[in-house]
Amino acid sequence: MSVNGTERGGGLVETHKGYNPRVIVFYLFIAILLLTLAGGLAYQQLLQAGNFRESERLQNQRRILVPGPRGNIYDRDGRPLVANRPRFAVTLYLGELRKEFRSEYIRIRKAYRETGDKDVPSPSQMERIARFTVVRRYLDQVNRALSRNEKLDANDLEKHFRQQLLLPYLLVDDLQTSEYARLIEQLPVTSPLQVYASSIRDYPLGSIAAQTLGYVTANDAIEAAEDFPGAELTTFKMKGTIGREGLESRFDELLQGQTGGAIYRVDPSGYRVNPPLSKRQPVHGKNLHTSLDADLQLAAEKAIDSTELAGAAAAIDIRTGEVLVLASKPDYTLTDFIPRLSHGAARDITARGAWLNRATQGLYPPGSSFKILTAIAGLRSGHIQPDSVVECTGTYQVGGRTYVCNNHRDRGPITLAQAIEKSCNTFFYDYGLKTGVESLAAEARRHGLDRPAGIETAETRGMLIPDPAWKKERRDSRWYPGDTANMSIGQGDVLVSPLQMAAFTASVARDELTTTPTLLHQPDRPDRHSERSGLTREQYTALITGMEACTVTGTAKVLQAPFMKIPGLRIAGKTGTAQKQTAEGTINFAWFICFAPVENPRIAIAVMIAGDTPGEETGGGRYAVPVAGAILKKWDEKQKSPPASMLPTHLTPAP
Amino acid sequence: MLPQRFDQAKPFLTLGIALLAWLLLPTAVKRVARAGFFELQAPLETTASYVRDLQDFWALKTRSKNELIEAGRDLARLNAAYESRIQQDASLRAELERLQSILNLPVPQGYRAETARVVKRDFTSWWQQLVIRKGRNHGLVEGSPVIYAGGVVGRVREVHAYTAVVELISSPGVRIAAAAEGDTRPISYQGGVNPTYGPATGLIEYVPLDVFVTPDTPRRLVTSGLGGVFPPNFTVGYITRVEPSSDGLFKTGEVRLDPGLSALNEVTVLVPESPAPAR
Repeated sequence: MSVNGTERGGGLVETHKGYNPRVIVFYLFIAILLLTLAGGLAYQQLLQAGNFRESERLQNQRRILVPGPRGNIYDRDGRPLVANRPRFAVTLYLGELRKEFRSEYIRIRKAYRETGDKDVPSPSQMERIARFTVVRRYLDQVNRALSRNEKLDANDLEKHFRQQLLLPYLLVDDLQTSEYARLIEQLPVTSPLQVYASSIRDYPLGSIAAQTLGYVTANDAIEAAEDFPGAELTTFKMKGTIGREGLESRFDELLQGQTGGAIYRVDPSGYRVNPPLSKRQPVHGKNLHTSLDADLQLAAEKAIDSTELAGAAAAIDIRTGEVLVLASKPDYTLTDFIPRLSHGAARDITARGAWLNRATQGLYPPGSSFKILTAIAGLRSGHIQPDSVVECTGTYQVGGRTYVCNNHRDRGPITLAQAIEKSCNTFFYDYGLKTGVESLAAEARRHGLDRPAGIETAETRGMLIPDPAWKKERRDSRWYPGDTANMSIGQGDVLVSPLQMAAFTASVARDELTTTPTLLHQPDRPDRHSERSGLTREQYTALITGMEACTVTGTAKVLQAPFMKIPGLRIAGKTGTAQKQTAEGTINFAWFICFAPVENPRIAIAVMIAGDTPGEETGGGRYAVPVAGAILKKWDEKQKSPPASMLPTHLTPAP
Repeated sequence: MLPQRFDQAKPFLTLGIALLAWLLLPTAVKRVARAGFFELQAPLETTASYVRDLQDFWALKTRSKNELIEAGRDLARLNAAYESRIQQDASLRAELERLQSILNLPVPQGYRAETARVVKRDFTSWWQQLVIRKGRNHGLVEGSPVIYAGGVVGRVREVHAYTAVVELISSPGVRIAAAAEGDTRPISYQGGVNPTYGPATGLIEYVPLDVFVTPDTPRRLVTSGLGGVFPPNFTVGYITRVEPSSDGLFKTGEVRLDPGLSALNEVTVLVPESPAPAR
């Protein structure tokens, strides 16, 4: 039997050959196509899989960063100066309301259709209306529970929805304790409304040392640690804080907590798909233990306040250089910066000149307190002897100009110790001129008065110890003997900060050259020393005798008044009243530098009070001495009976 | 005749159709069906609880007369003590009302106590709840606090005609504004995820940093009364562990609940009364 179809009836039938080149080509073509497809598939699935996975990950995953709470700042006794307190808020997770938004949208659309109104909003407008309606419903729930009447800002809600869908939307901020308790109990556990506690700065002892501690402002650009995964993902950041002034700024890196957060998978609309793929808890920042003594600081600030003038005070532990007091008035209220400083408050601070930390950034002529430096320079150069005497007639002639002594008094013969005690200008004019400007300036530089004291916070660099070269360069003028006379009594162009003068006093107390102050407390810090001043025992004794006499019978004798006397405490000090010419007239700067106890120096103080009325006498003895007296009194009290902790009950002691 | 393979698939087909029908049913019908199911089930459970009560009654009947006399005496003493307390309370209440009247203070919300027998206890990792033998017909409302002699039991979650479901404080669905005994600052208490037969615990958040406890010296956690649902000073449990939270602002911790919660026979529902207007 034949298999060939053509032999059956001669019709048109399919024939098969064992070999057909055209079919082979076709097969080949199909095979190439299949291979191409298979190759493409393999390329996409095997070689490109990683890229696709990465693209999918970037598209579907979002990272949320949560700032770590800042560390606390403590005083030397472990009392919190700056801590954190919770700020409760009620928030709404919009991402969990997707179904409600959709249902509300459908309801609104249906309602518009039924009305037959031609002026129907667009779908996107209806979506906005739906979102607003749903969120307002939740806000009403909160308002009912809290008996409040909070309003919803449609634009703010829409902005949050568009840009920060994964972050909770803040409905009501700064809840009272009772309100937060009510919400905890009355809101269902599964409600998208949640009570959220964030950390804000708290000042348990009020705004003491305001400019020294500094303040924080909101920080939108918090950063995660390098090993925190998901750096390439779209990241939402919750607001953190950043230190802007004082210690908050200087030690911001230390105080900043470690950022935590989570990575979530989201759907194409940006809604979160729980639970998080990975999560890391934020970590509390490190605490800062300052050398400030809150008791002394409070005493200093209260005393400066009582003068109703601008001023500054600095107190230093003579042995270690630790700063006990760094006060500046006027200052600002630290709580005004929470959550942000209002324009009105900022204007007020500027108008009062309260931004400036006068203790470290203020520059003032030191007046007669500089006479201690003049005395040291004279003693070291050999022009002044401990028993040197000058006949004080109440005036002193330098060239063609007559310089007057303190209070224009004719004191008669006066020794070094008496000149310091009574603040006799004539003595220092005379010996200042004999010592010479170069020696005076060199001694001031040796004591570090031409450079910042080296504290951790911002310090002025504008201090000035003038000399002929400086005058020639800056004013293109020669140096006159009158300039030397002025410089001898801390007038003229000499400019120093109160902190510098406190450090200088601490150095004098140790009979050394320099003291580097520090704001960091270290309980077992070893005593710090610098090069000896170079005075002989006799010279040093004459100097200190004069300084002690100043506080007993001299210009600072108010310290012996019954209301100010500190029994058993020997104090060595020097007052000063510097003048400055202004357009309105001459204003005074009252100074007092001192250290105590004389026999075993522990604390050095410098106080400056700036007069504000031209022509009004703002003397160091009257204005600055009481401030130092208040600090010393508190210091003495603490030495005799260590304080009971002032720790507020809701704060734990410094760890 | 259908093919054999189709016959074998019949049960699955029926199940599929039933599921589809349930899915397609309107929500209102589903809700009625669910409620109906529970209301039909309730009489059975209620009857069972009555039978158990009868069982207990007969079990007590087997006790000797001396035992009963002794128990009667104890009860009489207890009644006398309670009577005295009631009189003290009445006197204090009168004083309080007088002071409120002088100061023109609004009268705080009061509660009506509704005692109910426990019909069913349900302790699984999913549910931590009780079914009690009183419901809507007795004036119970959802959200009412439920207490017993040892403190807080939980909150009424569902109310049916004759029964109600109480979610226990061991359930993660219950959150209370509590406070450490002797302290007024609120602490957020929430039930933990508890095993079926294990000791029940709860979790606390926002614990002030100066609250210290050790397992040997636990501190009583009580209702703060600030939340507006639970009256103050009812025992929630004992704080056995606290540790600083990562934010450094608070502590978090664990609360041991009364094991007696799993053996309750009777509870009291505090039905809120409408607040009286300020005088």
